[in-house]
Amino acid sequence: MNKGNGFWAKLYVVLCFAFFYLPIGVTIFFSFNSSKSLSHFTGFSMRWYEALLKNNDIVQAVYVSVTIAVIATIVSTILGTITAIGLSSTGRVLKDAILTMNDIPILNPDIVTAISWMLLFSSLGFSKGYWTMLLAHIGFCTPFVITSVYPKVRSLDPNLANAAMDLGATPFQAMIKVILPAIKTGIYAGVLLSFTMSFDDFVISYFVTGNGVKNISIIVYNMTKRINPIINALSTIVILVIVVILIVVFATPRIRAKKAAAERKMEKELEEEGALPPSGGVKKHRRLGAGFVIALLGVVLVAGSYSAAKKSASAAGKKQQLRVYNAGEYIDMDLLGRFEEEYGCTVVYETFDSNEMLYTKLLAGDQYDILIPSDYMIERLIKEDYLQPIDWSLISNKDSLNPDVMDKEYDPGNVYSVPYFYGSVGILYDKTLVDKADLSEGWNILMDQKYKGNLYMYDSERDSFMVALKALGYSMNTTDEDQIRQAYDWLIRQRKTMKPIYAGDDVIDNMVSGNKAMAVVYSGDGALIMSENENMDFFEPEQGTNIWYDAMVITKDCQNTELAHDFIDFMLQQDVGEQNTEYIGYTSPVTGVYKKMSQTMFKGIDAYQPRSGYAKDEVFRYQTQDVKKLYAQLWTKVKAQ
Amino acid sequence: MKHYKKLTIPYIVWCAIFIIIPILLIVLYAFTSGGNSVKTLNFTLSNLAKINEHTYVMVFLKSLELGVITTFICFAAGYPLAYIISRAPEGAQDMLIMAVTIPTWINMLLRTYAWMNLLSDNGIINSLLGLLGIDPVHMMYTDFSVMIGMICNFMPFMIIPIHTSLRKMDRSLIEAAMDLGANPLQTFRRVIFKLSIPGVINGVVMVFLMAISSFVIPKLLGGGQYVLIGNLIESQFISIGDWNFGSAISLILAIIILLAMRLMKKIDLKEAEER
Repeated sequence: MNKGNGFWAKLYVVLCFAFFYLPIGVTIFFSFNSSKSLSHFTGFSMRWYEALLKNNDIVQAVYVSVTIAVIATIVSTILGTITAIGLSSTGRVLKDAILTMNDIPILNPDIVTAISWMLLFSSLGFSKGYWTMLLAHIGFCTPFVITSVYPKVRSLDPNLANAAMDLGATPFQAMIKVILPAIKTGIYAGVLLSFTMSFDDFVISYFVTGNGVKNISIIVYNMTKRINPIINALSTIVILVIVVILIVVFATPRIRAKKAAAERKMEKELEEEGALPPSGGVKKHRRLGAGFVIALLGVVLVAGSYSAAKKSASAAGKKQQLRVYNAGEYIDMDLLGRFEEEYGCTVVYETFDSNEMLYTKLLAGDQYDILIPSDYMIERLIKEDYLQPIDWSLISNKDSLNPDVMDKEYDPGNVYSVPYFYGSVGILYDKTLVDKADLSEGWNILMDQKYKGNLYMYDSERDSFMVALKALGYSMNTTDEDQIRQAYDWLIRQRKTMKPIYAGDDVIDNMVSGNKAMAVVYSGDGALIMSENENMDFFEPEQGTNIWYDAMVITKDCQNTELAHDFIDFMLQQDVGEQNTEYIGYTSPVTGVYKKMSQTMFKGIDAYQPRSGYAKDEVFRYQTQDVKKLYAQLWTKVKAQ
Repeated sequence: MKHYKKLTIPYIVWCAIFIIIPILLIVLYAFTSGGNSVKTLNFTLSNLAKINEHTYVMVFLKSLELGVITTFICFAAGYPLAYIISRAPEGAQDMLIMAVTIPTWINMLLRTYAWMNLLSDNGIINSLLGLLGIDPVHMMYTDFSVMIGMICNFMPFMIIPIHTSLRKMDRSLIEAAMDLGANPLQTFRRVIFKLSIPGVINGVVMVFLMAISSFVIPKLLGGGQYVLIGNLIESQFISIGDWNFGSAISLILAIIILLAMRLMKKIDLKEAEER
């Protein structure tokens, strides 16, 4: 036989493995980096692991991932195994029907399965969260258990169980003592598959969860927008856990089997001749051993994360709870911890990518106490009766608010909203790459062939249309279909001729490192980038821009209005505002904070001061359903172009 | 073993609630308008008709194209690896296959995030190139970055089934072919590859299925302007809130997958007959 491989074959194997393990190796390596950089190693440090343990959100997510994986594995293994056993004595037609149904979640793309369950849970009126996630995980694990166990059951001699029963065993005893031992390998395969699949799942969990319940994948997804070395530390731990489980499951029995094989050579030979049943002797012990180790590991994992999560879990039972829904990367998370401590409560914190996502979530029945949307969305929420009025007598810091940001069109008299941050939209440009004279083109500089392939647009429906409408000289609140279509054509033309990248918050890190010449950004992000990269400058075109306000509002179904007001009041405190501004870089509506920051961190950076007095500057307004739908459709098309 | 017949009842109930009804819901939403609650039902074909618009057709074509290319690369690069592994000594084979498997059990998002750090304009690869005095190469937010992410994540699913069928192969057939005067290339083409076709088909189906429906990898490595079917579905459900249109796209996607699998099964049967 021609066995073994030559040099080139071995080299090829090494190269392939290098490719598979490169991302894993890099992750582990940079998790020990002492600086925030993900490309330059500046020294060994454990700081990201410390930060990880302090991050309550992540610890909670680990708890969710582990407990769901363990429970889903147990339930789906039991359900799958009894079904597989039952199938062997089921009539052909029914059996085929069950197996076909069972194949559906395996063969369907994850995303289709995910939305089908999302539709199911919302039609049933289930509140999305831990339970829906658990049910969904059982739902996709069970089919895999059945496909691993059923072939083993089929190859089983049916006379075995019958014989046991003839000898006086009850069907249950026969199942436990005769059938289960014979199909053990299939069950173990099912357990392993279920656990790892549940533990790693993102797509299905992402669609069926809600109310702040996040697993590891979802938290990573939310964190990927900005450079965040904590993810590397988390990855390293996850990798370690998975590798340890695999080694224990596969390697330990093999080593032990080798040792035992020598001792029991005789027995083995007999086995092969058929004198002994194959499940006897060595194999039995090693499978039992493997099963035991899996169980033990499970217990250790659960116990470990349980003790970590116990704090917050027991807190949820006794303490008051506040559910906050905010844009991603839009608060210094330490402040939430401080609020929890000062007010003896727990904050369930969840983030959205866009105002539209917030609205869709509310529509789907998700419940929150405090939301932090933008102006036009607040106007919509007021009109559609989602909010309750603010009791200003409970806001002790109300006098510290800058009168310039109060009483705007979206909420006259600030009946429902308390400003959080405000700013404008403009173009951040690299002074070394962009000719100052070109700035006179205003928004049309984004169409200047000189900068082809060298710019970021902002991945947001309304802001992108704002840019196009302003460039064409229209109002950004237009409801004229013809104007909207012209703006759509402008965006399509820009996509085709300029090849922009529609970035989210990742634009910040990219512009700090000067990756492109220009980017459409919020003034606050502009200020933050300018404070870290002195080549950058910010300008707001004469054609007018969007002046926006993000504000805190309290929902109608808020469960603890007093605590909600406390939270709003807390965010308006001088020191809290300073800390939050330092982290986010946006313009604070608190006069004292604004003054202090423009003297310190943002000294000399004009982007920190949103301009006023331009007649063409506007605030986004409420859109009727039809107009909103038109924009949404056209935006989908711009992006899909 | 007639006593165990009733054991299937719980799962039949489960299937009805968690498999049949949800699928029917997708169909229901795809063929109706009236927003995101099922209270108002208006039958319509407009959701499906909308997919026929040029933009959306292009999204489907782009996804198919990317799926086919990714699958082909995974096959072209994965087959040799599976073949080399199948020629290694028994013990080493187990170790190597385990080494192929391990990455698939580590969270896909975490690995994709690592690729973001590797490929970005000032990422690890570019700073290494910088040390060699080479100008940075723009890799992020391109077809290249999306494809790298997909290949790295999906290739093991090609290798494992191919290896399984290569390993199961009866070695004496190869010897027989050689004895009958076939040269190594002929032996490979006529015997080895033929016998591994079931594994190849399994791998192709799995990789294609994952590649065509992925939305995380294109979103993270391709940027906001990189829209594949998965991203289209996600945006309809998460940000735009048009569940009817989203369901219609999902339905079409499910049908495409079904057809692709039918086709593969046919090829498999034809090959089996020839064997």
